[in-house]
Amino acid sequence: MGVTLVLLVPLFLLAAAAVVLVGPDRTRHARAKMAAYPVGIACLGAVGTLYQVASSGSIEIRFYNLSSVASFAIPIGFYVDRLSAIMMTLITCVSVIIYNYSVGYLYQDRHARRYLAMICLTDFVLICMVSSSNLMMLFLFWQVLSYLLYVLAHNHTHAGTLAGAFKTFTLLRVADTAFLAGIALAHQLYGTLEFQELFVRAAQTPIALSVGPGMEISGATAITLLFFVGAMGKSAQFPIHLWLPGSLFAPTPVHALLHAGIINAGGFLINRLAPLFGLSSTTLHVAFVVGTMTAILGASMMLAQNDIKKTLGFSTIGQMGYMIMECGLGAFSLAVFHLIAHGLFKATVFLNCGNVIHKARQEPHFPHVEHQADEEGLSRLSRLTWLTGFVTTLFIPLLILLVTHGVLHIPLLESQGTVIFFFFIWITSSQAILTLTRLRQVPSWKVSAAMLTTLLFIVFVYLGAAEAFTAFLFPNPDEVASYFKTAGLPNWMFDLIILLATVITIAGWSYLYLVAHGRTVRMPVWIERLRIRLYLPFMNRLYADEMYQVLGNSIMRLVHQLDKREHGWSR
Amino acid sequence: MKEGALIVWLLSGLPLLGAVSSLLFWSNPARLQLSSVIWSVVSLGSIVAFSNQLVIPSEGLLPLYLLPLTAVVSLLGQPPHVDHRLGWIMTLVFLGLGLGVMTTPPPSSSVALLLLFSVVAVLLYHHHSVLWSISWWGLGTYTLGAFCAALLLVAEAPLASVASVVASAVLLPLMPFHDGHLTALTRLPGNLPSFIVLLLPTIGLHVLATALPTVPDVVAWTASLFALVGAFYGALKALAQTRVRLLLAYGSLSFFSMLWWFAAATRTATPRSALLVGTVGLATSGLLIAWQVVRTRYGDDVDPQAVSGLASGMPRYAVLLSLLALAAMGLPPFGVFAGFMGLLLSAPFPSSGGLIITLLAWLAASWYIMQMVQRLLFGLRRPELRYTDVLRTEFAALLIVVLVLLALGLAPNSLFAPDQTLSATHSVTGSVVWSR
Repeated sequence: MGVTLVLLVPLFLLAAAAVVLVGPDRTRHARAKMAAYPVGIACLGAVGTLYQVASSGSIEIRFYNLSSVASFAIPIGFYVDRLSAIMMTLITCVSVIIYNYSVGYLYQDRHARRYLAMICLTDFVLICMVSSSNLMMLFLFWQVLSYLLYVLAHNHTHAGTLAGAFKTFTLLRVADTAFLAGIALAHQLYGTLEFQELFVRAAQTPIALSVGPGMEISGATAITLLFFVGAMGKSAQFPIHLWLPGSLFAPTPVHALLHAGIINAGGFLINRLAPLFGLSSTTLHVAFVVGTMTAILGASMMLAQNDIKKTLGFSTIGQMGYMIMECGLGAFSLAVFHLIAHGLFKATVFLNCGNVIHKARQEPHFPHVEHQADEEGLSRLSRLTWLTGFVTTLFIPLLILLVTHGVLHIPLLESQGTVIFFFFIWITSSQAILTLTRLRQVPSWKVSAAMLTTLLFIVFVYLGAAEAFTAFLFPNPDEVASYFKTAGLPNWMFDLIILLATVITIAGWSYLYLVAHGRTVRMPVWIERLRIRLYLPFMNRLYADEMYQVLGNSIMRLVHQLDKREHGWSR
Repeated sequence: MKEGALIVWLLSGLPLLGAVSSLLFWSNPARLQLSSVIWSVVSLGSIVAFSNQLVIPSEGLLPLYLLPLTAVVSLLGQPPHVDHRLGWIMTLVFLGLGLGVMTTPPPSSSVALLLLFSVVAVLLYHHHSVLWSISWWGLGTYTLGAFCAALLLVAEAPLASVASVVASAVLLPLMPFHDGHLTALTRLPGNLPSFIVLLLPTIGLHVLATALPTVPDVVAWTASLFALVGAFYGALKALAQTRVRLLLAYGSLSFFSMLWWFAAATRTATPRSALLVGTVGLATSGLLIAWQVVRTRYGDDVDPQAVSGLASGMPRYAVLLSLLALAAMGLPPFGVFAGFMGLLLSAPFPSSGGLIITLLAWLAASWYIMQMVQRLLFGLRRPELRYTDVLRTEFAALLIVVLVLLALGLAPNSLFAPDQTLSATHSVTGSVVWSR
């Protein structure tokens, strides 16, 4: 039963692509509508697979025999555990929504057939990728996905789109090359590309690689660093993030699929290889740094964009950074939870952004320019609102921290992961509650109630749902604990993060309080200047496109110079 | 024994017989083309039929199957025209000589090799144009190859081993003997470049496979070094090219150099090596046929940027060219990828630096090939151009190449070398020196 379900899910998606592609032109809309059924059945199949895997354990199908010389050049097989089943369900659910939306959205479009078939084909590739039984097959579909991204972000006749598609392809190939190097090294060191065997051998056979005089790194670190670079590409991590804003000319449903499904590939790779990443503190720390940097830069650039699609694009980059940061902290299950939530949210936002633009154009008050009124509104912040906000975001978290540390004697410094997630809760809830203070047309008690509900909701999500999800994904709590332990940061860095998070939250509330009471917040001149100076680079996406352009031009200039000097020999 | 000897002579003789009999249709290009195709198919059929009676070389039987198959697609890739007749006849001659090198025992194989080098050199001497002037470097390289083939007839080891390596470096291009490859792909008439690009490298691999176990260490080490330089150099040069045939010649040089690096380091040529050489040759052959389609319509050596927008005007051509490009740049699920991965995973890396250079060359392929394809297929449709999609024979040729490349990417490795152990599993324990 399970085996049939696993095979049916990708086959139905492939069938949907065939239904769209094959047939006379006059029936293309009818066929496009008809193809929604196999997509829907694939979704039901994925849900059934999830149920089957949750109740009866992992499903494994191999169309190759490792001990036989007659095995295929590329070993095709499926390994569906809880992680794969969840990803399959997410991808197919999002696909159903996106496909049905696309049928209407692309109605009478000249390229509708190509796009709809490509969407189904991309879903098929994604499903095969997340259910791969070995690294080789995963890499195969990973590569095909890179090319499909190029095709999806493509418009034959638009120069900007062509340049963006080419950039997407080449940047992803850079990351793919690192991934390939990781595969070759993994096979060289451990002699297998089968996930389970690889994890066991890597854990049982510590290998030290000499990378220079007196410099050694472990085999697991070398491999995971290469895999991490591969994941950085698909997850648009800084500085390989440029392909994502470059592909924003694609049709809206393609974006929804890209931001809800394809971009999760990097996160999936890290989670699939979690037992391997869990052997290397260095890689997890690198992931933490890269993720944090991407989250900060992505969010900052998002704030400075003046185009709704670019804003959403950079929001995705920030969120992916956040997700990678979670992986860097050893919270692999939380990262999966995050990418599911983000995928559903971002798909919805992208599918609706066209409506928002359309409505905004019809609304004479948009974009509204009454900023002055907004500022004045802050002074109407009631004492109750402010007090609730202060208590929920500053007092309660600090109280919990003191109680756990001082009264319950829980050694917080030894469970850094817990503390850091405690601070995530704090920052997330503070940000949400600060946003609620902007509600000025409703009574204060309602705002206060909303604040408390928000805090409870966020705490519930982090501690309840995420914990339950972790238990579902990793039934063995020791495994989760070992990841947290490996990801442990140096004490000074841990203290610094905690201190920074505290300062930022307190400073936010202080600023709000002062502004709400009509006081002028005097900033040093250099901070004001810096704020103005930083706005332009962030609006221009830190000139990263231009830097890549300069780099590309320099390489090509060098190549042409070499070619000219060598002209007499080879022609 | 006698029966086996008869079979190998039959295999090499059939295409030569076909060349002679096709001359009867010299005045009718369409019939001449059909006759050449039929003789190539007969040759392929005879190889399939007698494959179980042939001595299996260390690189397997795949090259033997690919030679007549590539001859067929190369012949189909050109529309009938009086100017193409010499190319078609010479395709059969080259096929016969090639099969002679690969199936007959010494000294017949060395004589066939000598003839092959000589015929290529003569053709290159006679065929050049204003666009592609005579290349003395290329001619010199093939003359050197012929000299080495002659040396094989008379010399003993280790001189014979070194002569074999040099001859194979001319055939399966290795710096600094790569000029012959570049010249052949740019100057040979008609469909010959699209056949030669597979024929010569596969013969080169066969000669190399015989010589590798006996070559002195210093020769193998030097070849390995030149291979790395060649992989990088080929990729750089391909990046700089605007002329498609040169771009493809340098691109294939880069990929063949990767094979040299692995072969020189491991001192063996396995069926996986043959898979890489065969698929790189076939993919390049397909791209040359695709370029031939453009040349037929818009003139020789046309600037790719001057014929943009083919995707909308020639959709079938666009799809096939895109798939060929994917295969040529080493993307899955095509054979080039399978061959490359097969080599990466089957042997320990000779050095980490070499692996990095090899991967960079692999990465560069996606830049220059994709750029070429993007220039040709996409962009605005030009009103001054007349777009005619591929003819039936052109379509068949390109489709066969794509399907074969796909099949080779997915087929079991043992299919072409049933008696050999192919899956080598290595694992390392303890401390490893990674930077050498």
